[in-house]
Amino acid sequence: MATAETGVQAASPGTGEAAVRVRDLTVVYATARGELPAVAHVDLDLPAGQITGIVGESGSGKSTLALALLNAVQRPGRILSGSVQVAGVGDVVTLGRRALRQARGGKIGYVFQASQSSLNPLKTVGKQLLDLGRSHDVADLRQLIREAKGLAEEMGLDPVRALGSYQHQLSGGMRQRVGIIFALVLNAHVLVLDEPTTALDMLSQALVLGIVRRVHRERGLTTVIITHDIGVVAELADRLAVMYAGRIVEEGRTEEVLASPLHPYTAGLIAAIPRIVGDPNRSRPLSGRPPDLTTVPPRGCPFRERCPVAMDVCEVEDPALVEVPGGRRVACHARGRGVAVR
Amino acid sequence: MVAVDPLVPEARPRLPRTGFWSGAGRVVLRKPSRIFGLAVIVFFALMAIVGPFLYPKNLPIDPNAIYAPPSLAHPLGTDFEGTDVLALIVTGARYVLYSAAVAAVVTVVVGTGVGLLAGYYRGIRDSALMRVTDLFLTVPGFPLLIVLSTIWNFGAAPAMGLVLGLTGWGGLARAVRSQTLSLRERGFLEAARGLGLSTPHIVIKQILPNVAPYVAMNLLLSVTGAIYAEVGLFFLGVVPFKANNWGVMLNLAVFSGGAITSQNALIYLLSPLVAILLLTLGIVLFLDAMDELFNPRLREG
Amino acid sequence: MSGLARRLASRIVVAVVMIWIVASFTFFLVRAIPGNPVQAEYETLVSQGVNPAQARAETQVIYGFLPHQPLATQYGHYLWQLLHLNLGKSISYTGTPVSHIVLSAAPYTVILVLSGIVASFAIGVIAGVLAAVRRSTRLGDVLSVSGSLLHGVPQFVMALLLAYLFTTEWAIFPFGAPYDASIPVGFSPAFIGSLVSHAILPVAAYALSSYGGWLLTMKSSVVSVLGDDFVLAAELRGIRPITRLRYIGRNAILPLFTILALSIGFMFGGSVFIEDIFDYPGLGQLLLQSINRRDYPLMSGAFLLITVAVIVANILADLLYGVIDPRVRKG
Repeated sequence: MATAETGVQAASPGTGEAAVRVRDLTVVYATARGELPAVAHVDLDLPAGQITGIVGESGSGKSTLALALLNAVQRPGRILSGSVQVAGVGDVVTLGRRALRQARGGKIGYVFQASQSSLNPLKTVGKQLLDLGRSHDVADLRQLIREAKGLAEEMGLDPVRALGSYQHQLSGGMRQRVGIIFALVLNAHVLVLDEPTTALDMLSQALVLGIVRRVHRERGLTTVIITHDIGVVAELADRLAVMYAGRIVEEGRTEEVLASPLHPYTAGLIAAIPRIVGDPNRSRPLSGRPPDLTTVPPRGCPFRERCPVAMDVCEVEDPALVEVPGGRRVACHARGRGVAVR
Repeated sequence: MVAVDPLVPEARPRLPRTGFWSGAGRVVLRKPSRIFGLAVIVFFALMAIVGPFLYPKNLPIDPNAIYAPPSLAHPLGTDFEGTDVLALIVTGARYVLYSAAVAAVVTVVVGTGVGLLAGYYRGIRDSALMRVTDLFLTVPGFPLLIVLSTIWNFGAAPAMGLVLGLTGWGGLARAVRSQTLSLRERGFLEAARGLGLSTPHIVIKQILPNVAPYVAMNLLLSVTGAIYAEVGLFFLGVVPFKANNWGVMLNLAVFSGGAITSQNALIYLLSPLVAILLLTLGIVLFLDAMDELFNPRLREG
Repeated sequence: MSGLARRLASRIVVAVVMIWIVASFTFFLVRAIPGNPVQAEYETLVSQGVNPAQARAETQVIYGFLPHQPLATQYGHYLWQLLHLNLGKSISYTGTPVSHIVLSAAPYTVILVLSGIVASFAIGVIAGVLAAVRRSTRLGDVLSVSGSLLHGVPQFVMALLLAYLFTTEWAIFPFGAPYDASIPVGFSPAFIGSLVSHAILPVAAYALSSYGGWLLTMKSSVVSVLGDDFVLAAELRGIRPITRLRYIGRNAILPLFTILALSIGFMFGGSVFIEDIFDYPGLGQLLLQSINRRDYPLMSGAFLLITVAVIVANILADLLYGVIDPRVRKG
């Protein structure tokens, strides 16, 4: 496949203990043109107790990566190679069926987009919590419900009403909070949020993000937020990974990446954010369209066609994700050769 | 901006917009069963058109060969008068298919019309149309047809088709209405109205093409439904026989030939049954192709 | 008033209106029959030497209205009698009240049809789930094809084939009549056994003729629910496979209820064939007999009762739907 043959693939350096360690992960989808990678040779550490944001456009593979963290990539996709080591669980890629099921929800909580209905429309929240408890062999179901009510209260929901409701009786913001209850009620220590604020109104967004920050801190979670919204990451995440065409192209501490992006794509993403203050014309959208599975070029840097600093080498060689001074990683030929990116 | 990761953007092959007929041809040719289905339909259609010309107007009877077993002269044996069963099947096809075609057209026209109007207008007109539809759906069809036969002798093929069509459009009307409503939910109609398009234009040029695939499938389904209904009515013997057809054959085989309780009229009983089942099978197999053509969701990767 | 009760009430109002329309239809139909059977009956009686006043009275008893009154009066009288469940008197079963005859025939039809619906629904739904979940395996293909084929076979063809195969070719089941006439009627095992063995073929004919429809609809419904977000969500929460299957099944079954109404009408309508073929003394056979014997009061009664049975069964199906789907319940 089209990855670099040079350089040691460096994991996130200097972050202490990693709660989740992704190594050389490749996820492919079966298409009419054969199996094409949606996630290609990804190395990523999620440091324990920190919030990591994964940012990318539609089709960058970020949601597939999120599903792969639970070994739950849906057909016609599958994990082709690599490992996902989760502390206290092991490698979820090779885990047995039963152990994997216990890890999902038990050790790793997953929260869906608010616009997706993650609840069975025919059962109340409470009854589905009981199903969750039974599925995970919880001995004391009353205690489980008490804990769920506690979480609900913590998040500003009326516990009795929330648990007695059907999905269609909940607003978007309420659904999202109920989703967090489901993810955390079994004391998962890794929390994966897929577009947690998309399709929510501004007030609900702020509320949900506040709640995520609070439960993350109070429970000492390791949190991943998958989003297309750099603003969300800027507000919450300790670390930031930028994805493009199934690859991580830049990774580092959030404030450093935002302040001085090393990859032209990251720079473009930041420049594209409209500002509330100042000239709206200063926000420059990225030219071109993000590639999907079938339009990723088979060799060379996948970003080169939209890249303002593309060079000849970009046509033939896919840049490796390499560590640069300051505890950051970037995958760009231009950076390595001292070409100014901004 | 809502950025939902399309997990499988290109996994489901879409048929190109251009070349519908070549696409349709490919879908039909993809499975031998579909080719067979199409062949069966064409075969019976030809039988209905050409069949009656192949035999004399009054089929010869032969008192010496009553319920004769199959032979070279009578490949499917003979009936209670010694008439060749194969000739009865071939000449009977025209009535069956002609009236079924009339019924299917009436069903589709009324059902689609009512469904489109109800879905387009909503409100009072919708409820009124749907109440009428419910009435037609609720009152069981066969008993109604039998009762109707006491005041109206609808034995002639066009009349039969008309009656079957007029009593059988309810299901299609409901389905077309809900499809129209879902187009409406997608903001389709508001957009068209926003462009200042007239109502007839929106209904005929915008909505109809979107429900057309569904209607096309129902046209074929209505044909099978109408065949069952008419053959059934003749089988019961409540409608006077106008022309030779498969239902009359069944009636005579069972109630005059005693085919259920004895074996000598077996071929006479089986011949029309097999003809009906074969035609049905052909239509069902061919529908599978239409299903794939119009409903990509059922396509398996 | 709860949502369910309100829903029930509105359904009953609609049902009453429908019954009224069907009753009116049969009233005007009988009057439109060529040769006006009411007038004809009156004249037959007079020609048999009955004096005109008595003939008029007898005709009224039979049809529930008088031949010489204005139409509106006759119609009003007919509806008034109907309200008292008086459907007139049968001509062929001389003098027996129609309501009596149809009510004693109804259980045969209702029990057979409902057993057929329940059996085909249960088997078709389970097979549909399997066909959807295993849709890329041989089992899935076989199930789907069985559904398509059986879906295409009309009821009377199915009944004829079953009757021929299992009563003549292989005489496994008895033919005709609801029970063996040689066994005394009563709550004896022999009698009940006889009832059941005589009912098996007709019920099978009902069931097999609608099994394919349930299978195919359930299959496509399950395929569509499998793509719903909550199914993936349940998997990501580590919900047990059996519980997930229950989630999918219950959600996928909902669209089938909209077809249940159609199916109920279709099944009751099919009683005309199945009871004719198996010589089973239900409403369908009664309807046919009454037409052949020109017993129009009995025809109207049988037709009306078949329609009422369909309407009541539809209301039950609708209530069941309301119980399963909370969105309807609270709506």
